[in-house]
Amino acid sequence: MVFNSIQFTLFFIIVYILYLFLNHRWQNRMLLVASCIFYSAWDWRFLFLIFVSLTTDYLCSLKIHASDNEKRRKFFLVLSILINLSILGVFKYFNFFVSSLKVFLGCFGLNIHPIVLQIALPIGISFYTLKTMSYTIDVYTRKIEPTRSYLDYFLFVIFFPLLLSGPIMRAEDLLPQIASPRKLRLDWFYEGCYLIFWGLFQKIFIADNLAKIVDFVFNAPAPYNGVQVLLTLYAFAFQIYCDFAGYSNIARGLGRCMGFDIIINFNLPYFATNPQEFWKRWHISLSTWLHDYLYTPIAFSKRSWGNWGVVFALMATFILCGLWHGAAWTFVIWGAYQGMLLVIHRFLKPLFELISSPKSIMNRRIRFIIKVIFFFHLACLGWLIFRAHSVGQSLEMLQALVFNFKFSKESFGVILNIIALICILLIVQVFQFIKKDQLFIFKQNWMIRAAFYYVIFYLILIFGVANGREFVYFRF
Amino acid sequence: MISGRLKKVILKVLKLNSFDLYDETLAYQVPGWDSLSHVIILAAIEKEYGIHFRVAEVLRLRNLGDLQILINSKITNNNQG
Repeated sequence: MVFNSIQFTLFFIIVYILYLFLNHRWQNRMLLVASCIFYSAWDWRFLFLIFVSLTTDYLCSLKIHASDNEKRRKFFLVLSILINLSILGVFKYFNFFVSSLKVFLGCFGLNIHPIVLQIALPIGISFYTLKTMSYTIDVYTRKIEPTRSYLDYFLFVIFFPLLLSGPIMRAEDLLPQIASPRKLRLDWFYEGCYLIFWGLFQKIFIADNLAKIVDFVFNAPAPYNGVQVLLTLYAFAFQIYCDFAGYSNIARGLGRCMGFDIIINFNLPYFATNPQEFWKRWHISLSTWLHDYLYTPIAFSKRSWGNWGVVFALMATFILCGLWHGAAWTFVIWGAYQGMLLVIHRFLKPLFELISSPKSIMNRRIRFIIKVIFFFHLACLGWLIFRAHSVGQSLEMLQALVFNFKFSKESFGVILNIIALICILLIVQVFQFIKKDQLFIFKQNWMIRAAFYYVIFYLILIFGVANGREFVYFRF
Repeated sequence: MISGRLKKVILKVLKLNSFDLYDETLAYQVPGWDSLSHVIILAAIEKEYGIHFRVAEVLRLRNLGDLQILINSKITNNNQG
């Protein structure tokens, strides 16, 4: 039951009507049941895994909070993390590690026939595992107090708008909104509808149409044409952004309609001029999670190494970030590439700061645009590794980019196709960036809004991909 | 209140001549204080005061006021010990 399907629309209408007529206590109970139904539409058996994960964290957190004995507190923290990571390890990474071990031993002439688990990846597992782990860690560091209400905690983990692909909200932000009555305001309802509508446009019109261009090239055998690869990378950069940002906008919109305040997950990431800024704008809930629970502890434990400790922590964090995205070497290399960009930026930053800023506004803007375009291409290079089916394919495509860069008639057709798909997004985002407000269109007068809704609705209806294609991040 | 000693350490690591630091000041509001320099600053504070932070204590810090309180409690513990 994806957000962009008729089933989900009907599901949400029923949930919302019930929500309007219930009091706070029954709203939460109804949302809990609705979230279980929503997840069961994928595979009801995996509900058991969520149940194990959240019950472990709920009980361990209470034990941690109740004790002043540091050893006992640490024991329950380690127990909670071990159980969560074991579930994730078995269901997501077992086959990857076993097949990698087979290849590694094969290099030394040792042939093994490992067990391969024939199980599907439980959808949303990477997201809810991070959510529950952050809760226990926050209780351990005494940042928050654990909730006594099991049902509130259950809903915090399984709340359906955020369950499958985030944003990965922290307990300190979401639990108070669950525990206390929520206001229902008409202006929030309109804002929620705007976010849902804009998210659907990003997904159904932009991402799913760009996916056709991307899939065609990535599913084709080598040799590749460099121009074709470059255009496909541009298309993929916007496909993955619109797919995921679209999902996040819909999730925020659904929450807003019900009186929840869901955090922004994407803040115009392709306006970033360097990797540090990019990670402050892209998948914000994941990057802040990685920063707080992975990077900071690693960097802090290696503080005696000085700058090298920071380098080590960055590389380790982003390699694990890559692995979080998927159990494949392409994701590991993508993570290492992102870590490397951040390390290089860290050491070159003082040099960049020595270059004085141009005095005229026009020159400053030109310099900014050049920096944005340059960094966008570095991001695209990362997307090549991220999207490729194998390391071999990414190398073949890189080779084509350098040694087989030829324009053809078809290239112009693809360029026009991509521009047609992303031009509205670009125009809207330029205004959002200049005005520093993601709700810029929503705040315009009714005539501009009506024209905007008309165009968006028309494009979704006529050119939208209507088969309810899954969101890319579901498979992570 | 942020002590002059703490302020001096922070400004020295960040290579700033002057910047007003208050209890409510958040790290990102101080020029140059990002996630990368954060650890370097904490290591410099440990060296200056001869104290040792734990990871859980560092993760709990919300603003400079929290950092000052943590340092004060560590100094008191050291003196009592």
